[in-house]
Amino acid sequence: MATKHASMFTNPLLKWVDDRFPLTGMIKEHLTEYYAPKNFNFWYYFGSLALLVLVLQIVTGIFLTMNYKPDAAYAFGSVEYIMRDVDYGWLIRYMHSTGASMFFIVVYLHMCRGLMYGSYRKPRELLWIFGMLIYLCLMAEAFFGYLLPWGQMSFWGAQVIVNIFSAIPFVGPDLAVWIRGDYSIGDATLNRFFAFHVIALPLVLIGLVAAHILALHEVGSNNPDGIEIKKNKDPKTGIPLDGIAFHPYYTVKDIVGVVVFLMIFTIIVFFLPDMGGYFLEANNFIPADPLKTPAHIAPVWYFTPYYSILRAIPPLFGSQFPGVIGMGLATMIFFALPWLDRGAVKSIRYRGTLYKSFFAMFIVCFIVLGYLGVKPTSVWGQFGDWASILDTKERATWVARILTIGYFAFFFLMPWYTKADKTKPEPARVTMH
Amino acid sequence: MKMKTLISALIFSVAASIPAIALASDGPEVKFVGPKADRTDIQSLQRGARLFVNYCMGCHSAQYMRYNRLSDLQLSDDQIKQNLMFTGDKLGDTMKSAMNPKDAKEWFGAAPPDLSVMARSYSSASITGSSDAPTDVLAAYLRGFYRDDKRDTGWNNLVSPNIGMPHVLHELSGTNKLVETHYKADGNELKTDHEAEAKAKGEFIAAQTMSSFEHHADKKDGKIENTYIVRTLVNETPGKLSSVQYDIAIADLVNFMDYVAEPNKAKRIQIGIMMLFLLAFLLGAAIWLKKEFWKDVH
Repeated sequence: MATKHASMFTNPLLKWVDDRFPLTGMIKEHLTEYYAPKNFNFWYYFGSLALLVLVLQIVTGIFLTMNYKPDAAYAFGSVEYIMRDVDYGWLIRYMHSTGASMFFIVVYLHMCRGLMYGSYRKPRELLWIFGMLIYLCLMAEAFFGYLLPWGQMSFWGAQVIVNIFSAIPFVGPDLAVWIRGDYSIGDATLNRFFAFHVIALPLVLIGLVAAHILALHEVGSNNPDGIEIKKNKDPKTGIPLDGIAFHPYYTVKDIVGVVVFLMIFTIIVFFLPDMGGYFLEANNFIPADPLKTPAHIAPVWYFTPYYSILRAIPPLFGSQFPGVIGMGLATMIFFALPWLDRGAVKSIRYRGTLYKSFFAMFIVCFIVLGYLGVKPTSVWGQFGDWASILDTKERATWVARILTIGYFAFFFLMPWYTKADKTKPEPARVTMH
Repeated sequence: MKMKTLISALIFSVAASIPAIALASDGPEVKFVGPKADRTDIQSLQRGARLFVNYCMGCHSAQYMRYNRLSDLQLSDDQIKQNLMFTGDKLGDTMKSAMNPKDAKEWFGAAPPDLSVMARSYSSASITGSSDAPTDVLAAYLRGFYRDDKRDTGWNNLVSPNIGMPHVLHELSGTNKLVETHYKADGNELKTDHEAEAKAKGEFIAAQTMSSFEHHADKKDGKIENTYIVRTLVNETPGKLSSVQYDIAIADLVNFMDYVAEPNKAKRIQIGIMMLFLLAFLLGAAIWLKKEFWKDVH
């Protein structure tokens, strides 16, 4: 709080608070005097929606914790107890399970917005890094949470993901035991995953979200034109000419987004809580059984693009480590985006065909890799006998390999194609479409 | 009673459909023609509950389902006690089988699984590639039993071959036997693999009873030999129920299992509809508010 603001309140109690706490200052700085570009479009709903889902997850999570038992012998039963015997427990649980998937949908759309309009570029590099840390934290949070219902998919999904670590040379197997606290997923694993899921990661997540918003309000929001509104300020007031106060303009606009989001959320929670097996997997209605491996183990849909990359990369000297590296790199490479992009403009609106083609290719790669990760590698059948010179005849594996190359090409070739791209001139002021 | 059965048979025949079940890509493809029951049909659920406690609960539990919850099915506490509870359980107890799981494991090779959420464990239709409702898969399984002297229990199953569970409902259904026909290219009538497959598929689709289709590829003298196997079930001895009545009984039982797997389903859908109306109203209000405020943004 750089400057001391005069109290905006007439109420004596709030005045009293204001003398002791920067209430007016915070409200002004982050709401009524935070000026956002006036040309936000559809893609700008997802930031506030992500915050909404975070709150939903925390609140429903608190109530779930009141009845859930983090014990291998009781966990599955306690979830069914919540679903049947706790008043509206089913609603709380479905909101939480749907919220998990919706969180990723919202965050992926939010990230896609950042890619399209170059929101990661100077001066928003740190804002982008905080966002990426939130994304990684969210993946860990989702992974730990997925073990808690203690169904077959919880158990075997965790088994597969923890085993990924054992592919690391030399320290891998010991590392996996250290993570699990046992030689296989067990009660000790469930207990620590519970601790991470309900305390450790939510704390980190909230801290990162605060940092993300503070960084945003420091540099100001980007917009679909990718130009800085701070370049054109009213000489008298110092307010950007193309800026409007976040409150009330964007608060009332975001309420519309929130209601539309809640309608979609309602349709899923009340009519399709399983979402055809994508949000709640059928196998997870069978209690975890260490002696029975399910025929087809797939992670939840939001991890599948990376899982596909892991599966697609062939092993080296019998070690799956290259796949693990590939998967890790696929998630981490987003951090480098601000320094990979050398385009003359930020927004896709003024970029040339070269960038647009690479961007479209990346989106297709991400979605198709995600689809393939849900399915067994046999989904598209096999090549004929001619293919016996290859290490695998499975068509889907080969497609995933090509898409993996496409995925990385978007990043590794970015310094070249963004520079070589024929861009259009940016407008001086934001445009309203 | 007869009239009632006839009426319900009529109702069922309207709702009847012909689902073809592809349980898994590696197993046999199973087809069955049968009635479907409606989740909102309370009488069907009541009949299903009776079958469940009489036939299933000898071995299986529904350990997360409480007896008094069955009041959802418009049953009074007394009706539940007198018709659906045979042990010394209390109304608030969960539906636990009297069988000791340790004994069960010794007798059947595996402890009979809990049936509380069994119906939901079959619902990943979109992932296994089958578009069928979980209830269809369960119904196909319950109707797939046939006599097999090679098995310890004397029973085998078309849908889940060599499963440990015996045919508990045989006094209702009577007994079925398996008819297995192999089709392969023989150079005479069926010249090519393609013709053999077409013939087998035709027989499979035309079968009036439950049937399955399976493709086997064996390597013989360096050559791949394809066999197409069609299995059908044929009634040997009649049971207490006619085949139509038995199919309805299975639809009821499966309907009840679907209810037990998620007793709140009806309530959930009801609340969902109200929520959508409420949100639609809120949406109107939110759009109006936004327009009012944004009048001064140019």
